[in-house]
Amino acid sequence: MPTEAPDNAPQNAPVLEVQDLSLRFKGAPANIVDGLSFAVRPGETLCIVGESGCGKSVTALSLMGLLPRGVARVMSGTAIFGGQDLLALPQRALADLRGDRISMIFQEPMTSLNPSYRIGDQIAEIVLRHRPVTRTQARARAQEMLERVKIPAASNRLDDYPHELSGGMRQRVMIAMALANDPVLLIADEPTTALDVTIQAQIIDLIEDLQKESGTALIMITHDLGVVAEIADRVCVMYAGRAVEEGPVAAIFDDPQHPYTIGLMSSVPSVGPRSGRLATIGGMVPAIDNMPDGCRFAPRCPFAGPRCDIAPPLAELGPSHRAACHYAPLESAFAEAAG
Amino acid sequence: MLSYIARRLVIAIPTLILVSIFVFVLQKLLPGDPALVLAGEERDPAVLEFIREKYRLNDPILYQYFSWMKAMLQGDLGISLRTNLPVTELIADKLPVTIQLAVMAMIIAFAIGIPAGILSAVRKGTAIDYIANFVALSGLSIPNFWLGIMLIMLVSVHLGWLPASGYESPFVDPLKSLQTMIMPAFVLGTALAATLMRHTRSAMLGVLKADYVRTARAKGLLENVVILKHAFRNALLPIVTLSALLFGELLAGAVLTEQIFTIPGFGKLIVDAVFTRDYAVVQGVVMCTAAGFILMNLIADVLYFLLNPRMRSSL
Ligand SMILES: Nc1ncnc2c1ncn2[C@@H]1O[C@H](COP(=O)(O)OP(=O)(O)OP(=O)(O)O)[C@@H](O)[C@H]1O
Ligand code: SF4
Ligand SMILES: [Mg+2]
Repeated sequence: MPTEAPDNAPQNAPVLEVQDLSLRFKGAPANIVDGLSFAVRPGETLCIVGESGCGKSVTALSLMGLLPRGVARVMSGTAIFGGQDLLALPQRALADLRGDRISMIFQEPMTSLNPSYRIGDQIAEIVLRHRPVTRTQARARAQEMLERVKIPAASNRLDDYPHELSGGMRQRVMIAMALANDPVLLIADEPTTALDVTIQAQIIDLIEDLQKESGTALIMITHDLGVVAEIADRVCVMYAGRAVEEGPVAAIFDDPQHPYTIGLMSSVPSVGPRSGRLATIGGMVPAIDNMPDGCRFAPRCPFAGPRCDIAPPLAELGPSHRAACHYAPLESAFAEAAG
Repeated sequence: MLSYIARRLVIAIPTLILVSIFVFVLQKLLPGDPALVLAGEERDPAVLEFIREKYRLNDPILYQYFSWMKAMLQGDLGISLRTNLPVTELIADKLPVTIQLAVMAMIIAFAIGIPAGILSAVRKGTAIDYIANFVALSGLSIPNFWLGIMLIMLVSVHLGWLPASGYESPFVDPLKSLQTMIMPAFVLGTALAATLMRHTRSAMLGVLKADYVRTARAKGLLENVVILKHAFRNALLPIVTLSALLFGELLAGAVLTEQIFTIPGFGKLIVDAVFTRDYAVVQGVVMCTAAGFILMNLIADVLYFLLNPRMRSSL
């Protein structure tokens, strides 16, 4: 069955392996996402972090086949999921996976639910689409999901319209919908950015709990290093459409190797509770029509040198820890400089 | 909901009064003396005086207005000067014809305009979109009377497929009724289809960008479900409002089209009445049209409420 999860795959084979993904907007002179690679293993949480506009959302949308048509295009790359390349699947086959094996929740809970339909029906709809169930069974599943996302008095809420719910509640409904068919992979694109601070933590905890419960792999796109510290197993740091560093969460926080990551971490204490947004680094992300040919971070990099005119590859530094900088690991660079 | 409708009906009363004053005053300002028209070749002052007396044309204007209003409230729209028949009877006679024409035209407009609008929005920027827009623009710029005449020439005169004119009640002979009405309904319907298509297109373009449409796709729903169930449902509001208003306009009578196809509807009634200075008929028809228009507006509002859960629960 092409739509099934890779049951017979070795335990640690990635659920999703993205390689050399490049995306471009129509008429743009450079790729908005350029040669991006990452992988997520079963039950694992991968956090993708990076400044606003670095291409996190378009990456997620491209995996779902939801890039705005005729506006954005996949230039290269593969995204292997369950033995199939998501980027090469025909629309219909991809639609069969969406909402079933892969689900996504979005940044905008206020507008992501259809205002004309009751939330119970909107959840039941995704079950009916992918499962051979009756309407009654789908509705029962909808109620069960509302209970699982801890919406109080779930059975009374089934017939509510989205406008009768707060932003936090609506995001819970989105989560209920996304998990209704027990997907293998959940992509959460900044699910809390639009919510009140107090609600943010609740939603993150909820996602974390549900993920532990179901064993779903999670790609969490976020700005919030506190969230990363709380839930990530691995982190992929993006800068201007490229992965600049990837590794286990401990390595990223305690032993960052890319100058951009180091800059991000500089405001975060390395012990104790981590919180706060990404640190601001002097300068601005280069505009798409002004991308450096070499390392895209060079204009802001304190370490930039002549070698940086050539784009650095994502090089292996330690156990599954990689960084894209000519001078990584930094220890060797300092040694070189001293010697 | 009911209290809302009641409120709207109360608001409609001053509107109708305004219309009545307007109609009445305009009528009095029109050049020409109805008594002269009625008298025909007769120029005998005594006869004219008799006519004026009979139709109360000599009474003070305010008195004339109030007695007209009073009668109207009792369901009496007066007597047609020309035919000597009660105006209500004339209207009751012509209204079903116009309603039938309006309904048929509306069905044609929906059948063409809405699918075309959806399609051109979904296929925005493609050949389909350009062709649909070109056809719609042509539809808007081709005058109804020209299209009507061309149809008569081609279909009736040249091919002999349909009668060029006349009318048959659908209760007497449904097939013949359809045959006589289909061409005028087509002429009116295509013109409305163009308007409807352009509104459907822009409403759809708006909702297709919405986040919930992206959510629908993320659920794996098939494209036709995404478009019809999730997008179109939310584009309905402006379309419904527009349709009710267009229907109201149709009820006012398609003067030229009815004239060309010699259909005995509202349009023809009012034209004949104006040309013969048949005051009572003109006044009655205009009042009736205004009431119909207000009614369609009300229906549009009610549908708007029913279609919009947010509004519905605020009641
Ligand atoms: N329809 C579009 N046409 C052209 N450029 C676009 C379009 N949509 C997004 N972009 C550009 O693509 C870039 C990447 O956008 P994306 O939404 O992926 O960023 P992001 O990393 O998710 O940022 P944020 O953290 O603000 O959500 C942005 O610089 C944006 O300007
Ligand atoms: S490659 Fe050069 S410019 Fe890029 S991060 Fe490393 S040192 Fe800085
Ligand atoms: Mg984003």
